[in-house]
Amino acid sequence: MALKLQRRAFLQTAMAIVAAASSGVMRAAAAGNDAVTIGWPNDIPSWDPNQRFTPDAQPIFKAVFDQPLDQDPQLNLVAHLIKRWSLAPDALSMAVELRDDVKFHNGDKMSTGDFRYTFFERIKSGTKLDTANSWQKVQDIVIESPTRAVMKFDSPAPTAPQWMAFLGSYLVPKRYIETAGLDTFRSKPIGTGPYKLVEYELNSRIVLERNDDYWGPKPKIARVTIQIIKDPSARVAAIQSGQVDCTVNVPVREVARFGKESGFAAELNPITRVILLQVRNDLAFADENVRLAAHHAIDKAALSKAFYGDAAVPLSVVATPGTPGYLPDFVFKYDPELARQYLARSNYGPGKPVAIGFATTNGQFPSDYDIARAIVAMWKKVGIDANLEVIEYAKYFELNRATKLPEATLYSWDNATGDPEIFAGYLLNPKMPFSAWKGMEVGQKVIDLRGVADYDRRIAGYRDLNRFAVESGATIPLLQSVLTVVRKQNLTYAKYANGWLLPQSMQWT
Amino acid sequence: MFATVLKLVGRRVLAAIPILLVVSALLFCVLRLLPVDPAAMSLPPTATVAEVEAKRREMGLDQPLPQQFLIWLRDVLHGDFGRSIHLNRQTGSLVGATLPATIELALFAMALAALLGIGGGLLMFHARNTVFEAIADLGSILLLSIPEFLWGLILLFVFGVTLQVLPFTGRLSPGLPQPHITGFLLLDALLRGRFDIFLSAWQHLILPAVALALAFSPAIMRVLRSSLFDVYHEDYIEQARMRGLSERRILLVHALKNAVLPTLTLAGVQFGFLFSGTLLVEVIYSYPGLGNLMVDAVRNADLPLIQAVGLTYCVVVLVINTAVDSLYVVLNPKLRVR
Repeated sequence: MALKLQRRAFLQTAMAIVAAASSGVMRAAAAGNDAVTIGWPNDIPSWDPNQRFTPDAQPIFKAVFDQPLDQDPQLNLVAHLIKRWSLAPDALSMAVELRDDVKFHNGDKMSTGDFRYTFFERIKSGTKLDTANSWQKVQDIVIESPTRAVMKFDSPAPTAPQWMAFLGSYLVPKRYIETAGLDTFRSKPIGTGPYKLVEYELNSRIVLERNDDYWGPKPKIARVTIQIIKDPSARVAAIQSGQVDCTVNVPVREVARFGKESGFAAELNPITRVILLQVRNDLAFADENVRLAAHHAIDKAALSKAFYGDAAVPLSVVATPGTPGYLPDFVFKYDPELARQYLARSNYGPGKPVAIGFATTNGQFPSDYDIARAIVAMWKKVGIDANLEVIEYAKYFELNRATKLPEATLYSWDNATGDPEIFAGYLLNPKMPFSAWKGMEVGQKVIDLRGVADYDRRIAGYRDLNRFAVESGATIPLLQSVLTVVRKQNLTYAKYANGWLLPQSMQWT
Repeated sequence: MFATVLKLVGRRVLAAIPILLVVSALLFCVLRLLPVDPAAMSLPPTATVAEVEAKRREMGLDQPLPQQFLIWLRDVLHGDFGRSIHLNRQTGSLVGATLPATIELALFAMALAALLGIGGGLLMFHARNTVFEAIADLGSILLLSIPEFLWGLILLFVFGVTLQVLPFTGRLSPGLPQPHITGFLLLDALLRGRFDIFLSAWQHLILPAVALALAFSPAIMRVLRSSLFDVYHEDYIEQARMRGLSERRILLVHALKNAVLPTLTLAGVQFGFLFSGTLLVEVIYSYPGLGNLMVDAVRNADLPLIQAVGLTYCVVVLVINTAVDSLYVVLNPKLRVR
């Protein structure tokens, strides 16, 4: 009897627990009209937005912090914290005028003191910041008033305005950091952005609440939860089950599937990110014939079709369509026969292949390893025998610095500004760690262009350079990258050409 | 009994010191043998070779390996487990922030595994010499062959996506605040008196815990059944029958008490495996624990963080083994006699 009673009690308790677990579970996902949950692939590296250049973290930073300048969805530079700016003709100084109605989340008023602190003082103080590289030319920032200042550069900085809206350039609060300390700022960050951080759990979630004192347009969504879901399949499951309202970087095939399901919208958005082969100018690639053969042998349209559902535009230069350095009329053609001819000039061919090393990441961007394997197969057909090795993305710079990269490396390069300096000017500059190419015939052109202050002359120079670099085999651009987005159909967002998915641009319809 | 347990714990603590030293030395050497330069990794891409060299000297990486280990050990003894290269935060604080989540998950999973294992073992034994014996045997082998991450995916698909009855991302539903007290969410929710948070945390725990439990319970089932077979050959079982006790009472009161001891030993070992099994399950369920942190650390070649998390796993396994052995002493009177 006693046992029976216990068993009954146990069963009743178990039933109650299951019922409780089942009821209201999907309340989790039921966001109302003033809340949204986003499934995001990566956590931020730190809440100090100047510390690390992480392209994927920019939309999160842009919700909490403001940049001095901003970009519109077509990537035109627009006024933001800076109302007006004027780059000197020699690009050795830039005068800026800040808004006078901006407050940090703690109520402190933003001024040129914060501007000087962000872009000069904290960099010179020795705090380890990636912005120390982007703003290394800053010699001083002269404060003329609480809203006016002049940036002084030690050498021409023609892309200073673009960098004001690019990686890591977020205004941070001088007084708060100096009084509360850097560790407090990193754990309880405040910015001037449209959202305030209310909760952060490492590797799990970020909760933002609308900043009702925001100086700019108020976001439509009051509460944003960014759920960190690293596994692409789990992100698919999360949107499918309604646990998130929107997610990014899901497999391309899933975009097609969600596109057919009612209640969902799915998009493949081409963005200002290029997928390319970084090449060396020595080893087997010292021979220009081999480099050009390697380029002509790659069927980029087939790669796009196979791995990006035809949405990734094949590229012939290191720039994406619509950006200033892009050459719409220049096509580097896929021609395996021509590739064989180039190889034959150097006494190579399918019967006597040239051996090269080829590195790729696996999982750094969608289908990277598969693309690399397909290229190996394409090369094999013309007489290039590539030994494929997988490297960690984190090791790219270390290997490059030690000149240990192989002849070719599959790489993805993000440039939210679209400016050609931040494409070819970085990727082909032998003095910079991004470039595997160390040849000065291309390199000197890049270095010369970095000092050109006149915008039109600079852009024309980069367009010439882009063509020259490809025709001499100094780079092998492949595809324009795409951002996959799946969302609930009644959730809209502003589509930025650089792939930013900004919570402040979202709204329920 | 208390004195015996205390002695055992004392002995284990003493033994743990050389074990931890050896494990940390091994971990340190293996990580240093990897073709990764922590100095280069901790600097921005634009750092020059000279800056990398300077950083290497600053980090003591230009010293011989034993010297490097001693520097690391000295820092650890001063409570400094190093700074994460990728996250630029003290690894100790990162481990501290994520460990409670993993312990909570592992404890819940182990409790479930024990429940399923003991329940399943009893049923299997009960079904001996019947047609169900072969079916139960086959079922347990089938369960045994499915790893925890596969259970994770199956459960996610069935209960998360298809039936949509349980959440499967993170530890808490959007809209509910995280009560930061101890890091143990269930406990914190109760301390705050928030039943809604408690319920949500509990719901989020179910799928990852069941995935782990299903993978580890079959071994407990089979060992318990086998122990019960042994115990049933003992004289006191026959004597109990002669005293007129029911078969159910014999099984649940007399036989189980003795048969459970080898199961307990196994459970201790299993808990170590289960704890490391959280690694993949946490990634699948976006569960912000130690496993997720470890996967990130490996992905970013963050050597100080890998070292700290690796050492934490080792400490946890040692603590579990000590706890299980203590429990064994409590349950087995023979071990209390010196």
